[in-house]
Amino acid sequence: MAERSAFLKDIRTALDASSAGERSASQFPAVFSQPDVSGTIAEINSRSAEDQQALLARFQESGTEIRLQVHCAADSAAAAAIIADIARDAEPEFGTDKQIIQHAGRECAALNLAELLAGEEMTVHSVVPGDPDARDKTEASFIGITVADWGIAESATVVQITEPGKARSTSLVPSIHIALLPIERLLADLSELQALLQNQPPASSYVLISGPSKTGDIESHIVYGAHGPKDMHVVVITGRKSV
Amino acid sequence: MKAPDAPDYRQGARLGLASKSLQKNLKTLQNRFGRGAFKEWSAPADPGQRERVKQRRMDILEHLDAVLALLADRVEENGGRVFFAKTAEEAVKYCVEVARQGDVKTIVKGKSMVSAEIGVDAALHREGIEVLETDLGEYIVQLREEAPSHIVAPSVHLNRRQVGRLFTEKLGIPYSEDPPTLTMAARKALRTKMLTADMGISGCNIACAETGRIGLVSNEGNIRMSTTMPRIHVALMGIERVEATLAGQLETLQLLIKAATQQKLSGYVSFTGGPRQSGDIDGPEEFHLVLIDNGRSKILADPEFREVLACLRCGACLNVCPVYGRIGGHAYNATYSGPVGAVLTPLLYGVNRHADLCKGESLCGACLDVCPVNNDLPRMLLALRYKLAYGDERWQTRPHKPFEAFTFKLWRLAVSNALIYRLLCKGLSILQQPFIKENGMITRGIGPAGEWTRDRDLPPLARRPFSKRWRQRKEGKSAQRRDEVKHG
Amino acid sequence: MKKRVSLFIQCLVESMYPEVGEAMVDVLERAGVQVDFPEGQTCCGQPAFNSGYHHEARAAAQRFISIFADAEHIVCPSGSCVHMVRHHYPELFAGEDQETRDLAARVAANCYEFSQYLVDVLKITDLQARFPARVTYHDSCHLLRGLGIADQPRQLLAQVSGLELVEMVDSDVCCGFGGTFSVNYADISAAMADEKVDNILATGADYVVGCDMSCLMNIQGRLSRRREAVQVKHIAEILASTGGVG
Repeated sequence: MAERSAFLKDIRTALDASSAGERSASQFPAVFSQPDVSGTIAEINSRSAEDQQALLARFQESGTEIRLQVHCAADSAAAAAIIADIARDAEPEFGTDKQIIQHAGRECAALNLAELLAGEEMTVHSVVPGDPDARDKTEASFIGITVADWGIAESATVVQITEPGKARSTSLVPSIHIALLPIERLLADLSELQALLQNQPPASSYVLISGPSKTGDIESHIVYGAHGPKDMHVVVITGRKSV
Repeated sequence: MKAPDAPDYRQGARLGLASKSLQKNLKTLQNRFGRGAFKEWSAPADPGQRERVKQRRMDILEHLDAVLALLADRVEENGGRVFFAKTAEEAVKYCVEVARQGDVKTIVKGKSMVSAEIGVDAALHREGIEVLETDLGEYIVQLREEAPSHIVAPSVHLNRRQVGRLFTEKLGIPYSEDPPTLTMAARKALRTKMLTADMGISGCNIACAETGRIGLVSNEGNIRMSTTMPRIHVALMGIERVEATLAGQLETLQLLIKAATQQKLSGYVSFTGGPRQSGDIDGPEEFHLVLIDNGRSKILADPEFREVLACLRCGACLNVCPVYGRIGGHAYNATYSGPVGAVLTPLLYGVNRHADLCKGESLCGACLDVCPVNNDLPRMLLALRYKLAYGDERWQTRPHKPFEAFTFKLWRLAVSNALIYRLLCKGLSILQQPFIKENGMITRGIGPAGEWTRDRDLPPLARRPFSKRWRQRKEGKSAQRRDEVKHG
Repeated sequence: MKKRVSLFIQCLVESMYPEVGEAMVDVLERAGVQVDFPEGQTCCGQPAFNSGYHHEARAAAQRFISIFADAEHIVCPSGSCVHMVRHHYPELFAGEDQETRDLAARVAANCYEFSQYLVDVLKITDLQARFPARVTYHDSCHLLRGLGIADQPRQLLAQVSGLELVEMVDSDVCCGFGGTFSVNYADISAAMADEKVDNILATGADYVVGCDMSCLMNIQGRLSRRREAVQVKHIAEILASTGGVG
């Protein structure tokens, strides 16, 4: 603690506030004041099905700019069919066998992926909290399936909050990342996300993912798949049959 | 404090000027991201945003002690450890200690400028620890045992053939100059390291005090990988890289990304601030946040320079600077290059020592125009030059060039007296005669004119200066009027 | 009533390019302005100021404000000098008495760059000039970023009969002059000028026009060294021209 108080005292001295003694956040409510987000929250909560469709269109459009592949599925079964096709078409980048890791929770469970792919020489793992082999399974998987907490239409972003069963590495280590996004979790922009996050205690870790991993470090030439997934898909579950 | 080696801006500049591939790459970079940033600002979706973020950044700096205290409390509540490092040495020592106690053999690094500033790699190497950069550009310059030459694009000075030869030599792959092939080679080589490393070191783009979470931005995913897979995560941050609220943090990150690469959001914007929680299958077991002062509180104390701490490290000023665009980042011989480096390096490592950085710009003002937080770098460069002219105790600066000071004393005499001024011009116009060549220009001068004429011709002084012509003109006119009166 | 302007002739124009000053007088008189050239003027102080020598710069600035104390409008053929007077004098005189500060502020407010004065104050864009040639325009840094002047010169050039304006790439990028920078860091400065010259040549223009002789001198120096035929012209010379190209 000694080093902390000496360190902060140096800063106070630099600010000509050394006589004030230790200063705390509560003394400066203006600096720490939160914006009023009630209007934004009300807007999010009042969205109609048409509004959501409009956000979806915007999400898709933004997605094309960042090579994010956006699919629409009426329900879990349709989503599972899309994912099964991706799994069948793709070849594992590291190793030879096809393993898939998915987040725990009902959205992934509802895919019944293991059943769908039975007999196709694919293994489907789920993230089980406390599973000592979870890391090995993730590293061995060529596809990671996650559930998005929110999607942001403006930037085609998937938001994931870490919690047991919703591991960080699922969206990071496998070569292909597929995120499930129920349409009602679509937000317009970052300020809406901020409004929602502001009203809950911060998670230990969260991430905003926009498209596959990429780099431009060699002569500004864009290459996908620098370290994270080379391909990223978002399967939006629309809850209604597409026309 | 790790001071850069004997700085020689001029020599470094000459090397940069001689490199065709450097010029070409910087041109591409500046055309894309420099022009891109200007375009972004010319029709902003939120016109007040830059000024708003600047005001908030300055407000945070005004209350920095209270903001950092809250950040530290929140990180500790979350199970992380916070270390307050007054100097680079203290920060390095702490990192080494964490590595020792954690029995660390391999460290992977996510791109961090402050880690280069404090020079942590060398100290870890001395402990026998393998330290690997994971950002592709950083990895390339590390393999070449070079320093990064741009804040955001570390290997911008290299072309694909140089990277191809490097990878053949160091990674043993068949020669290729195809960026995707080269990128995939690095992906393979680094993946194993990132999955097996014991410790990850990251920087911090912007932390949030209220949530106790640091924000990290990357497109490659390497930072997320380096801060998720190893057992230990050490985050290094300069004390100024903090916001008070989540709203502030998100807005500032968004502005940073707009200014740097004009993306709506970078590929990965991740937030973390503690070890994994019970039940989590990944994330580090230990989280350390190292708050680094290393000369910043001294900058904070000087109202003339405080605003440089509002800098977001977006690199936009490098992307528009015509001087940087010609000489490249290595000429600055310091962690921070370009216009912001030209202000920051002298303040951190000595104004006299880095006098050339203070004076080696044309003051064109493009950096001020493009800066997302309107930092007036030209003003600060002028303020540094003022210190070099007369000396300044606060910054332990002595007058830089007695001869230059003398020259300006003479100049003062000349401009304070029109007669001396005109006589001086007259004298020079006579003395110059032998130097004027058949094209009507001076092609080889002496003294300052000699510097000029190394690559340029110099027009001579006119036989009759404007003031003389004006008098003749007026006399001619009045003579004409007299004539008109006479003959009218 | 006839407008009156007091000329401030920048040192480079006084001693190296007096014809630019004469052209400016011609244009202003053609515009019906009564022109005056206050005796004893020397320099605005910028060379010293930009090198950090504020005390020396202040001596020049002091002289400037006393000479131009009663001027209605001060017009100068250099954006850089006007930027100095308008934006750096307040800082330079910050420690002086109220009277001096007020005077500096008044002089600063009355000080105009030539093209700015024509377009913004006199509201004239057509000077009946004729200059049949292909021309490109260089945006000088202090003119563009310090004073925000980009349209005025282009509006003036657009009205010149026979003149074809071809914009160059990166017209707003610094030519590398930068005052003492051009001799203290001559190789960097010349490399910047070289790129400017490349961009000028790419337009196929016969002339490069600007509102600052200092930048134009730098460009001219590099053009001449590269033995290029392209000529530099101050905008006043273009506007003063009424016949063939000369």
